[in-house]
Amino acid sequence: MIRFSATFSLLAALFLGVLLSGCREGGGHAAGVAERIKEAQAPIAVDSTITDADFPEKTVLAMEEYQGGFFRVEARRELIERYPCTGCHNEKEVTVADGAAQAHGDIVLEHGEKGRRLVCFACHKPDNRNLLEAEEGFAVDFDHSYRVCGYCHFRQKRDWIGGAHGKRMEFWAGARVVKNCTSCHDPHSPRFKKRWPKTYSLPLT
Amino acid sequence: MGVPKKDEYRAVDDFVGRILSRKNDRRSFLKGAVVTGSALALSGCGNGLPGMGEESVLAWQEFFKANYRLMTETEKRDTVTRLEKLARIRQGIDVRISTREPRENVLFGYGFNISRCEGYMDCVAACVKENNVDRRSKTQYIRIFEMEHGKMNVDAGDGKYFHEVPVDGHFYMGVQCFQCENPPCVKACPTKATWQEPDGIVVVDYDWCIGCRYCMAACPYWGRRFNWNDPEVPSSEITRRQHYLGNRMRSRGVMEKCTFCIQRSREGRNTACVEACPTGSRVFGNLLDPDSEIRFVLAHKKVFRMKEELGTEPKFWYFMD
Repeated sequence: MIRFSATFSLLAALFLGVLLSGCREGGGHAAGVAERIKEAQAPIAVDSTITDADFPEKTVLAMEEYQGGFFRVEARRELIERYPCTGCHNEKEVTVADGAAQAHGDIVLEHGEKGRRLVCFACHKPDNRNLLEAEEGFAVDFDHSYRVCGYCHFRQKRDWIGGAHGKRMEFWAGARVVKNCTSCHDPHSPRFKKRWPKTYSLPLT
Repeated sequence: MGVPKKDEYRAVDDFVGRILSRKNDRRSFLKGAVVTGSALALSGCGNGLPGMGEESVLAWQEFFKANYRLMTETEKRDTVTRLEKLARIRQGIDVRISTREPRENVLFGYGFNISRCEGYMDCVAACVKENNVDRRSKTQYIRIFEMEHGKMNVDAGDGKYFHEVPVDGHFYMGVQCFQCENPPCVKACPTKATWQEPDGIVVVDYDWCIGCRYCMAACPYWGRRFNWNDPEVPSSEITRRQHYLGNRMRSRGVMEKCTFCIQRSREGRNTACVEACPTGSRVFGNLLDPDSEIRFVLAHKKVFRMKEELGTEPKFWYFMD
């Protein structure tokens, strides 16, 4: 009888041991990928194989810094039709009949809350149409429109600088190049429009 | 097992003869290869048999190659050359198949912004195009669920919507392979045809997959796809920059899955879905780089992973603005 209980307790101890070791393994697992990431300090991803020539779009150095230092942003100024704006908006009087409607009649201004829409000069500089202006004396080039947008949308700008809003162009590796605000948003009507999806999925089963 | 009798030898010879006199389609070729393989491999018939066309010879040599992880550099180069030649014969196009190795100090991670996605599905279309996925069965690696506000379970979402988006009161949640750090699919594979690469991508060696679909059953996220038929992709639409473990052409009866566009990501490029996303809901980068965008998301946003309680450790985080 004594021998039996000794064997039994030995078995029980073994069983308990197996159980506990199983728990430990499971516990170690829960740390997982988060722990691995936290400890990681990979050297800054310089990729010399990626050059400016790999970007089809023109880019400029941003006037901001992200956690990894300077970065570049898609240039927008040269993409504006009829730039420079002072070609029409200058000291001379505009002689074309109905010029405003012909030049900017396509613009739908849906920016700002309903009933309190923004007006042209909320962003455009009245005395120099080649520039933007969010506040008197704060002139901004079209390439750096994020400085104007960020004047109101500071949360989005903070996320954009860090990398949670907007996106990198072409490469995840190499020196950082990101899209500008106006690369994705129409500044006059910034909300994305309702449309049909590009494709559809079949039922799962 | 005793020594085979004389007439047994003759039966095998007859069978081999029958196989070889037939037009070499895949099925009959494989049948024949099973029987003749051992005998001929031993007799050093590496160049196929006399009278075989170039395609059959290449397919024959392909049949005897090793698992990708066991290949030497030469073997890798050889199989790539053969596959490129086969693409020229079968699809009439020049493809470039890479065997680029993972980069040092890189672990890929992904972020998906559920408050930004509008359900346009540009990512799905781009993924199908990039990865040469079968058009006939309309296989897709990504599925976007339309979910009611407040619901967090994809079972309650609509994964087959087709109407104008976004719909008020709904948000959109993309699901694809999460490249788990502890992948149940890899454990389930009986032939070691699927494994995790050092940069965290779970890949499939399409030539070692036997199509048992155990991995499909093991995946809690519906992340894997099966080729019920030989993938049909118009030659003009085939993405020609390919990777051995990525978007090279598959055949009937093998598994495939999202590989974070291994053919792009290993070259430093964004994945096709990230590139196509018109709303910037998708964030891709190196988890080991403390300055990367994905690390910023993890550090500054409310993030969660799907079915986190399973301990699969997906490297795919959902986040909110």
